[in-house]
Amino acid sequence: MDKRMVRFGNKPQIAFFDFACCEGCQLSVLQLEEHLLDMLNHVDVVTWREAMSEQSNDYDIAFCEGSITREEDVERIRAIREQASILVTLGSCASGGCHNDLKNQWPMAEMLDLVYGDMAEHFDTIPSRPITAVVDVDYRTYGCPVSLPEFVTVVKRILTGQRYEPPNQPVCVECKLNDHLCVYEKGLVCLGPVTRCGCGAICTQFGDPCRGCRGLMDAANLEAAVKALTREQAHSIVRRVVERYRFTEEEIEAKLRIYNNWPELKLEESVANDD
Amino acid sequence: MPTELVMPHEAVERFFGRLIDEGPVMGPRERVSQPGFIHFDWLSDAADLRLNYQTTTIPPKKAFFPPREVLFEFELTDPLKITAVREAESFTLVGVHPCDLAALRMLDDAYAREPAEACWPANRARARVIGVDCMPDEYCFCTSTDSCYSRAACDLFLTPIERGYLVEVLTPAGEDMLRVSDVSEATDEDREQAEAFRREKAGAMTARLDATPEELAEILESEEHTELWKEIASRCYSCGSCNTTCPTCFCFDINDEFDLGLTGGRRMRSWDSCQLAEFALVAGGHNFRRLRWQRVRHRWYRKFVYLYRTFGRPYCTGCGRCSRACTADINIVDVTNEIINRARERDRQGVQG
Ligand code: SF4
Ligand code: SF4
Ligand code: SF4
Ligand code: SF4
Ligand code: SF4
Repeated sequence: MDKRMVRFGNKPQIAFFDFACCEGCQLSVLQLEEHLLDMLNHVDVVTWREAMSEQSNDYDIAFCEGSITREEDVERIRAIREQASILVTLGSCASGGCHNDLKNQWPMAEMLDLVYGDMAEHFDTIPSRPITAVVDVDYRTYGCPVSLPEFVTVVKRILTGQRYEPPNQPVCVECKLNDHLCVYEKGLVCLGPVTRCGCGAICTQFGDPCRGCRGLMDAANLEAAVKALTREQAHSIVRRVVERYRFTEEEIEAKLRIYNNWPELKLEESVANDD
Repeated sequence: MPTELVMPHEAVERFFGRLIDEGPVMGPRERVSQPGFIHFDWLSDAADLRLNYQTTTIPPKKAFFPPREVLFEFELTDPLKITAVREAESFTLVGVHPCDLAALRMLDDAYAREPAEACWPANRARARVIGVDCMPDEYCFCTSTDSCYSRAACDLFLTPIERGYLVEVLTPAGEDMLRVSDVSEATDEDREQAEAFRREKAGAMTARLDATPEELAEILESEEHTELWKEIASRCYSCGSCNTTCPTCFCFDINDEFDLGLTGGRRMRSWDSCQLAEFALVAGGHNFRRLRWQRVRHRWYRKFVYLYRTFGRPYCTGCGRCSRACTADINIVDVTNEIINRARERDRQGVQG
């Protein structure tokens, strides 16, 4: 066997596909530049609309971004699944949930009217969902846009035939290991304590709060979030936030929904305590 | 009695400047990108050193046990090539508060226990340490944990006085550092001022535990306190910040990472936390502390019972970092006193009833 432990005999053919999204994940991957060149030593890219004009339906590994929001998306992702020996979801839209899923709070007909007006009858829409909700997926990557360190790790894992389980720890862990100021001290609300890490806590490194773009980690304690953010007489690091915003439960719910509305986030049901 | 000298204000910057010229120096300084945020980092200019600072978020143990580090690099040649990544250069760690000095000694003891850990003592051996005294904030409770006056693990210790610092020379290495500095003998007046500083420090401590370490260990051993742990757990994120900021926590995780070339990579070590859901998950899927309240409880028992019984002192320095960092407002002093007071209340009722 090749010492590099590459699991494919020949270079695997890879393809990128997009569904409903801003295509920011693909753009981010293009920003990897020199990493990308290293990666290209091990693979042949056969389809990548954002980067090249050729196309092929013969590929081994499919990287897919975006949400499924139409019946035809369902068929298309199923066909990709059929062809690809490895399916990788890129970013939160595809892997867990993202802004698109916010529309699920309202009736679909209402959404069509709002967006297309008179033309609504020519379009169809279904509640938005991640690709992982429609087909089996071999590797998942999160982030809006996709966290590049995680993307690179996943590529290495694929090429060396290893599994990848996304980390199931909060952003606070990475933030603390970075030795940065906790943004609560600046009076900003951070979703780091409930959000799946893996981005390197990149936002808090630059003094911004985590907005939760990688989605809730498993067993995120939402009851703790409500209790902390509405705490009477908080005397610690959360005090400034509590006093500044005077959050209601609905407001906290709305904040959490942004990246976590598939399936629909209902705080009342999610806070049924212990793990 | 250690030798006591005085370093006047005007000599301080020169002294640290000379240390920086001699070799790497880590100490409390402002992070350039985050004004006001003081953390331990390498110094290139003595003017950046902040000896008068409130406790940092991440403790100075990071000088010897970095949050993330490379243990060795490997190349997938035949045979496999492994290159240990070992820093060898001597350095000086300065500006360490007494609670953090106590913590260094605790980690010396913990890591020396069989099976001994190799990196910590090797890193400790290449560093000199200078401590400095401090005033507490609302989270400090070092008078309850016997750390307030610690001089453990340090070569020089500085206490602010009117003329500058009273310098306790605690080791030959400490003496050596002072060899070309402008220091003079301390007078009785200087000593009295240092003593007054310490009195003021202890007097300013607003947070304290309502029991001695031994009483606390007995209370924790005497019953389960499950209700309380469940109450706390309902508010706890399991975010691990109480561990990643703690100067006495010593758990770590190990991971291998390939280069994108796939011809080699490195073995990485990083801090771990017993509050994280997967900390006690072992192969086969069994988790020793699956429930959040079991993990919350574990932190208290570890610090105040298991390690207390093993090493004869609580593995908590009273630095208050875990309380400062907790975005769920879980305060170690409040919770501990709640346990103590509930237990005493039950005892009283037991006696009456
Ligand atoms: S800034 Fe956010 S992620 Fe960082 S420690 Fe604070 S709450 Fe956690
Ligand atoms: S810090 Fe939060 S918002 Fe920022 S990239 Fe990470 S998960 Fe997304
Ligand atoms: S706990 Fe004590 S030694 Fe530590 S910073 Fe506070 S006052 Fe200083
Ligand atoms: S820092 Fe607070 S919320 Fe986070 S694990 Fe510790 S006690 Fe729980
Ligand atoms: S348990 Fe908390 S107060 Fe005690 S040493 Fe650790 S961080 Fe400091």
